[in-house]
Amino acid sequence: MKTKFFIPVVMLIVSLLLLSCGRATPTPSTSGSDTSGEAASSEPIKIGGGFALTGEESALDLPAANGAKLAAKEINAAGGVLGRPVDLIVHDSQYKMDVTAQIAKQFVEEDGVVAVIGFTDTDSVLAAGPTIQAAGLPFITAGATSPKIPTQVGDEMFLACFGATVQAAAGAEYGFNNFGPNAYLLWDKGVEYTTLLGGYFKDRFTELGGTIVLEDQYDDEATDFSAQIAKIKALPEQPDFYFISAMPYNVGPVIKQFRDAGLTGPIVGGDGYDTPDLLSVAGPAAENVFFTTHALMDATGGTEGIKKFIADYNKEYGHDPENAFAALGYDTMNLISDAITRAGSTDAAAIKKAIEETKDYAGITGSISFGDSHIPQKGVTIIAVKDGAFTLGAEVVPEKVPAP
Amino acid sequence: MSTLDDRPASPAVGEAQPANPGGVAALTQSPVAIRLGAILLLAVGLTLLQLPGRAFWQGFVINLGIFMILVLSLNLASGFTGVFSLGHIGFMALGAYGSAILTLPLAKKADYLPNLPAWLAAVHFDFYLGPFPLGFLLATLLAAGLVAGVALLVGLVLMRLSGHFVAVATLGFLVIVRVILFNADNFTRGSRTFSNVTPYTGLWWVWCWAILTLYVVWRLKYSAYGRAMFAQREDSLAAQAIGLAILPPRLLAFVVSAFFTAVAGSLYAHFITSFSPTVFYFDLTFRVITMLIVGGLGSVSGSVLGTVAIMALAEALRRLEDVTLLYGMSQITLAVILIVIIIYRPNGLLGRREIVLARLFRKGGEPSP
Repeated sequence: MKTKFFIPVVMLIVSLLLLSCGRATPTPSTSGSDTSGEAASSEPIKIGGGFALTGEESALDLPAANGAKLAAKEINAAGGVLGRPVDLIVHDSQYKMDVTAQIAKQFVEEDGVVAVIGFTDTDSVLAAGPTIQAAGLPFITAGATSPKIPTQVGDEMFLACFGATVQAAAGAEYGFNNFGPNAYLLWDKGVEYTTLLGGYFKDRFTELGGTIVLEDQYDDEATDFSAQIAKIKALPEQPDFYFISAMPYNVGPVIKQFRDAGLTGPIVGGDGYDTPDLLSVAGPAAENVFFTTHALMDATGGTEGIKKFIADYNKEYGHDPENAFAALGYDTMNLISDAITRAGSTDAAAIKKAIEETKDYAGITGSISFGDSHIPQKGVTIIAVKDGAFTLGAEVVPEKVPAP
Repeated sequence: MSTLDDRPASPAVGEAQPANPGGVAALTQSPVAIRLGAILLLAVGLTLLQLPGRAFWQGFVINLGIFMILVLSLNLASGFTGVFSLGHIGFMALGAYGSAILTLPLAKKADYLPNLPAWLAAVHFDFYLGPFPLGFLLATLLAAGLVAGVALLVGLVLMRLSGHFVAVATLGFLVIVRVILFNADNFTRGSRTFSNVTPYTGLWWVWCWAILTLYVVWRLKYSAYGRAMFAQREDSLAAQAIGLAILPPRLLAFVVSAFFTAVAGSLYAHFITSFSPTVFYFDLTFRVITMLIVGGLGSVSGSVLGTVAIMALAEALRRLEDVTLLYGMSQITLAVILIVIIIYRPNGLLGRREIVLARLFRKGGEPSP
């Protein structure tokens, strides 16, 4: 009676385990020959790509992964790296931290990669980072902007995007110079990115001599902002502009509700605003909104590199890139292949050194140089919403960046 | 709640096997020998996993152990008593943060949590007894003990409720824990990632705790307390009529279960080494509940089986995704399997019955007299 169900179930589990082990076993032999030199010239160079393709972070990770895959395809079409094709091995972390930690081990042990790229959020990078750091492999995150990541993970960790300090400073300087010295500050207190961005904005803005007339916060994924709006309306005088540090899914509703309540002043934000939802949810309310991001993903207004990227992306996937994270994924993949080419080998230490020596690498999200820091000095794109479209507001490099 | 397929648990089948005389046959008939054998087998397996180059499968088996503790303890609180808790991951979060704060070395503490109250800032359970990280054990016990205390207070109120009400109320507890973790910046860094937790958790840690949890839950099931839990689950009026109080067995299950859930949280924290309050929410809650339901509410071996089945299936499907490139399929497939199980085996794979190791041997070996 009891064994009737037990035995088939056990057999099922054992066969599934064997299935998964079976794929794992042949790889160590290939990873061994990887470092032995250029003799095996047709052997692909393996790069790990960790992305949360499903789950809450997928709106950012999926475009980033697509961008990286497109770059790998183009690299191979152009003859590969060091005469060898590159193989971008992508694993889905499902935005689960235990799975994220596991796929880092999979990259190191089973896939035998020479470097890892990926992820757009701090939690995932910190969950995967220690394993990759311990294995001595370079790890470049495509879009996690916390400037503390390199010190938290170690010397193998790099950012392909600017840090939150840089875009906060750019936003603060832009607002101060263009709108005035009195700002209102609102941030999503449920997410590290929005909390850091709001904090760094305040640091730089007050340093410039500006005044935060009122600061307020809301819970992550909030849908009703009437309490915050009521407090602004109670102010004796309206601020010159509103800085709202929000996640992509909150951006549309918060702006719409601000405008509906009659708050028409300029709204400034970070790269969380870089989502099609801003225009589709807020609609006409999105006028007079300015935000800092990595690149203007516009087929007509963007730079030449961006225009070509959008055309290629459209050809490959049948639609335009969703946001700038697609371009970041693309740049990250190209950055690592550039480093391998300059290193002249697939030795991890040589690649790491080559990444550190990267100078004025012309990515489509801006020129990338790593100095002493593993966070690139990159220009910030400021986008202005005009007539229902994203237009280029300014390309700036902040004069001073707050300490992380 | 209980359905037709539910039959009274036949307890102590394992223990009640009469010992048969003679040699190897006697060994396969003796439940104690079989259990020791199973533990020995596990120990050999864990030792083999310690060989270099097996970090991935080590990680898998560590996750398996952590989830097994979570499922076993949720089974104790929900399966045994019929009081369905959706808030257990809140205990896990408290355990994780508690132990992470306690074990953080002084230097890092000043750096990461500069606003801790003085009495807590001076505490650092990062000491060793020889090679043994005694501080980790103490921090885990302390954190889990505190969480058990919280569970006692929460349980005194919530365990008086029944059915859907208790599910909603415990869900409320989960939301409250999340909000507190987000807002107690001085202790938890708020929404910012709590990182650089010392990676103490290894195979032996997890599996010693898992075996202990298994043992405690198993013994509880066949104790007078356990029978009281099942009795009030089946029919609270009848249980009261024969003089059983409703609250004490429920409260006992809730508190013991919260203790082990917090232990699992501590193990998880020192395994992942960086986390934020968002990690401990609906996603983990539903993963644990899936494993519990697949295994069978009320069955201890069912919890073990359910955990192993879902973890292995999830891993196999995840690897299949890398081949088929259909990302997201694994989660859909798991959900479909859950639906199929609910339709065809509403009480899970095992219902409330248990796998008796001794019986497996009898079936495979010579027929028993």
